Formats: sequence, structure tokens, C-alpha cells
Amino acid sequence: MNTIMKTNSLIPFLKRRDAESAEKRGVSLSSLRCFATSAPLRLLVAALFFYGATAQAKLNLVVTTPDLAAIAKEVGGDQVEITTLARPTEDPHFVDAKPSFIVKLNKADALIEGGAELEIGWLSPLLNGARNAKIQPGQPGRILCSEGIAMREVPTVLDRSKGDLHAAGNPHFIVDPLNARIVAQHLADAFGKLDAKSAEKFRANFDKFASALDAKMVEWQKTMAPLKGREVVAYHNSWLYFAEGFGLKIEFFLEPKPGIPPSPAHLAEVMAKMKETNARVVIVDPYLNRQTAETAARGTGATVLDVAQFPGGVKGTDGGYIALMDYLVNSLAKALGEKK
Amino acid sequence: MDTNDPMTFWQLMAVMKWPLVACLLLPPLLVYFGLHIIRREVIFVDLALAQVATLGACVAILFHFDPHDWQSYAFSFAFTLIGAAIFTLTRMKEHRRVPQEALIGIVYVVAAAGGILLLNNSPHGNEELKQTLVGELLYLQTPGQVLMPFALFVAIGGVHFVFRKKLIAISFEPARAGLEGLSIRGWDFLFYALFGIVVTTFVHIGGVLLVFSYLIIPAVCANFLASRLMPLLAIGCGISTLGSVAGIYCSATFNWPVGAAIVCVLGVVLLVTALAAKLLQAKPNPTAD
Repeated sequence: MNTIMKTNSLIPFLKRRDAESAEKRGVSLSSLRCFATSAPLRLLVAALFFYGATAQAKLNLVVTTPDLAAIAKEVGGDQVEITTLARPTEDPHFVDAKPSFIVKLNKADALIEGGAELEIGWLSPLLNGARNAKIQPGQPGRILCSEGIAMREVPTVLDRSKGDLHAAGNPHFIVDPLNARIVAQHLADAFGKLDAKSAEKFRANFDKFASALDAKMVEWQKTMAPLKGREVVAYHNSWLYFAEGFGLKIEFFLEPKPGIPPSPAHLAEVMAKMKETNARVVIVDPYLNRQTAETAARGTGATVLDVAQFPGGVKGTDGGYIALMDYLVNSLAKALGEKK
Repeated sequence: MDTNDPMTFWQLMAVMKWPLVACLLLPPLLVYFGLHIIRREVIFVDLALAQVATLGACVAILFHFDPHDWQSYAFSFAFTLIGAAIFTLTRMKEHRRVPQEALIGIVYVVAAAGGILLLNNSPHGNEELKQTLVGELLYLQTPGQVLMPFALFVAIGGVHFVFRKKLIAISFEPARAGLEGLSIRGWDFLFYALFGIVVTTFVHIGGVLLVFSYLIIPAVCANFLASRLMPLLAIGCGISTLGSVAGIYCSATFNWPVGAAIVCVLGVVLLVTALAAKLLQAKPNPTAD
């Protein structure tokens, strides 16, 4: 019974539901609907109680990528349970589907996604199977982090041949700390709507994260200040927001268009431009072809630097968003400093 | 995730409902085709035909059709027919030193490389195409996704049943079929066209690895244990079903990707069958078969 009381306390955001139907809701979670067709009845009944007893205590969040998960953790603290779908070293455009993903989505109170079509290829088929009304588009449980972000490179005309696959703009916005701050605030608001009782806590967590971020930002800007205007070459156009945030120039990419492997002619062109603009550092994400980066670097005397958009994607970044940005700023400053 | 928790296991199995249904309903036809393919010794023809169908989808993309449009399917189908024609024409040209398997391999790599060139200017084209055409069993979550291909498979199985004498003759006894005046070219073309449709459809559902495994592994296992068609088919279907159930069970228990789990289970089944066949063979008389 205690469980049901707890459930009721979460109810205020579920408008137009009286206490009685809410009580039912506590023990007939949508996940069990499809489960009921295959499981023995006894197990089901046992499971209902077990499930009700554990699941409602915390907000059950499913997050598509580890960067958003790291920020959700900062804001949610111990009031949330987080499941991350993509691994930090995995290409977020293409993620291997595992059976547990659908179950997690089915049980989730909220789904947090980038919102800019980064995960579109693998997330929507998983959602077909999840059958969870709470995380349908437009519900408070469907959190799009791109809301409130000034999206860049939003195509005016959608044309596949131009490389404008992301209709919502360049989806790699989180590596600008100002955007991370916006996302954190957005999450604090969204969590507060889902769990009104903890809204204060989420707000406090956000304030803490934001002030840590603000303090770090001063430090990062100081580190990067002497490097303003320097050229860096990337493999994929996922560093636009980072470059803009720190005054770098990342204009040349090893791949001629998103997702197309570099041709020799394109590589030669990039190398010529690297010499011309004195670009001495090539950054490459863990899931992209490092050999191509090495080829370009060898021919131009540049350094290859392993970077990641996701905490845990490269060594020493497991600590969370701030640890990741620390790594990115410091390693890049070091590489740029060595190569004048 | 705590996989010892029975809750979790049954929840995972609930998610696997339609993948399991698909893996029970669809593979028997693949096993049947696999028996033909093994007898014809054209093991990799399925991969080649699937790749040719993909090339058709690439051409459709060049004409600015979405991979999901019906026009793309039409292109795929037309290219599958071209592939069927190629394999029909190369079968009887028995060159002494060039086996047909070599030509099949060549069709595969050229179709794959051709696709890369065609999509050279389409961003994320190759990956997107792979994602569109190479299925993922786990994404089967509605009845329609399973029952529509099943209806198609039943129809194709029906064609095979109606013309079973001729279609079996050209695979299993081509010399006799030729002597009896059967149009080998014509029936071969029908065989490869139907086969192309089945393979392309299943690649769309379960991916390349899985279609190859369902075609070849149960048929090979069956050939270790029997020699006549009906026992071969019965053993093959039994093994594919066993592989499906055990593979999906492992996938749910260990949270493995479904397709890869089934393929590996089928591999283990093959190993066990081969050992069993060896033991059985060692005992009675060595001249058997």
C-alpha cells in the first residue's frame, strides 16, 4: 500500500486523473500489457508487486547519448535512475539495438534525446516496440534537449545531395558549455514537471552545476584565449559549436560530406589547405577512421588528437561533462601550443 | 541490467514476441531454398542477389526516390531479375577452369562497389542504405511487419509447390531434367527470381548474416544426417526452429543483439550435428551414403 501512496504523490502532473484511476495506474504499468501475453500468470502477479515497489521511487530516465546522460545526472542527482543507450565510443548516428533497450524505454518515465535527428535512425524503430504513452512526442516525458538551443546550420532547403540530412540543423551542440547550461536548465524544468516534489532539488542541482560550469568557463576561456582564430581540422562536422564557443576555426573536414569516406583528391585538398592556413592539429572521434587523420597529419607535420563528444569516449573523461570539457580544452590547448 | 531477475527475462521475451514469431514462420522457406542452393553448389548466390537488389535501391536514390518508396522496391526487384538472368545464363556455361562460384563472388563485389560509387555523393548514403535495407530483428514490433512477409513467403512457397517436380528436377537432377526436355534456362530464371525476392525480403527483416545462416546452416546440418528431400527438409526446419528459439532465448538472457545470437547458436548446432554425424558414421558401415 505504501507503494501506492508514493505513486499518488507523483500524480499532480497527471492532470485529469482522479485518485482511484491513479491508484490503478500504480500497479498496471504499460510495460506489463505486452508482457501479460507471454508470461505465466503467477509470475505476472508477483512481478506486479515487485515492480510497483521499486519503480516509482525515482524518476526512471532513458537517455540516448552519454553527454546528455551526464548532464541529466548532474541535474537529477539521486532522484533519478538513468539508462544510457549509446556507448560513449559508439557513433551516435548508428547504435546497435539490444533487447533491453525496448524494455527500458517501456518502463521509462521520460526519454531524453538530442532532438535534432541525431538518433533518428535507430531510436524510432525502438520506440515502435516500447509502447509507452509517457514518452510519446508532445508528452512531458519526451524531453528534446535541442529546445532552447540556437541551432546552427539549419538548412533552408532540404536536399539530400547537399548533405543536409539533419533538417533541424547541426545536432552536435553539447560541446559548447553555454549550450550545456541551457540543456541543464531545460532538464531541471522538465524533471520538475515530472516530479513536482523534487522540483526544488532539481533547481538546486542545476544551480550547483551551472555555477561550477560558469567558474570553469572562465578558466577554459582563459586557456583558449591565446589560441583564438587558430585552425583545427576535424573528421566530421561535429565541432562547430565547440569552435564557436572558444573562437577556434574548424572549417576543413577529412570527409568531403557527412558520412562519405574521404577520396584521395579531397584529402590532398584538405592537406593543401592545412598548410595554407597553418592548421597543425587534426581531431578525430573514437568511432571515426583515425588512419585517415594520421595520413593527413603525416603529410603536413600536424598532430592527431583523440577527442570525443561523450564523457568516457576518450581516456580520462569518465568524470562527467566538466571532466570531458576539461580534457578537450586542455589537450587541444596543449596540442596547439606545441605546434605553432 | 540484472539478468538474473525473472521479471527482466520475461519482459525481454515480451519484446521478442514478434521477432520470435518471424523466426518461426519465415525460415522454413529459407531452409528449403538452402537445400537447393547447396545442391547447386552456389553457396554465396544469396549474398550476391541481395547486393544486386541493393544496387537497384542505390539507383533509385540517384533518381531521388526515398529508400522506403515503392519505386525503390521496383528498382530493387528489377535488379534482382537482372541478377537472376545473370546466374541463369552462367549456370550451363560449364567452363572447365572457371567455376560459377567465382562469377557469383564477382557479381557480389562489383555490385557492392558499384553501390559505393553511385552513392559517393549522397551524404550518409551508404550507411543509411545499409540501415534501410539491412534489417534488425528487434525492430519487428507490429504484426504487419511479420505477417506481410509471411504472406509473400507463403505465395512463393505455393509457386514452388505447384511446380515442385520441375523446380526440384533442375536443382537436384539437372542432367535428367535436360534429357527430359525441360527448359532449364526458363525454370532456372524462375528459381533465381523467386529466390532473389525471398532473400531481399529477409535481409530487410533480419540482416545479411541471418539470411545466410538460415539458408545454409540448417541445410548443411540436414545433409550430414539424411539424403532424401523430405527428411532433409524436416531436419533442416527442426534445426532452424531450434536455432531460432535458443538464439532468442540467449538474446533475452544475456541481452545480446538478436541476429548475431541466432547465427552463433546455429553455428554451435552445426558443430554438434557434424560431431554426431561423425560418430554415427563411424559405427555402422563406412560405405554408406
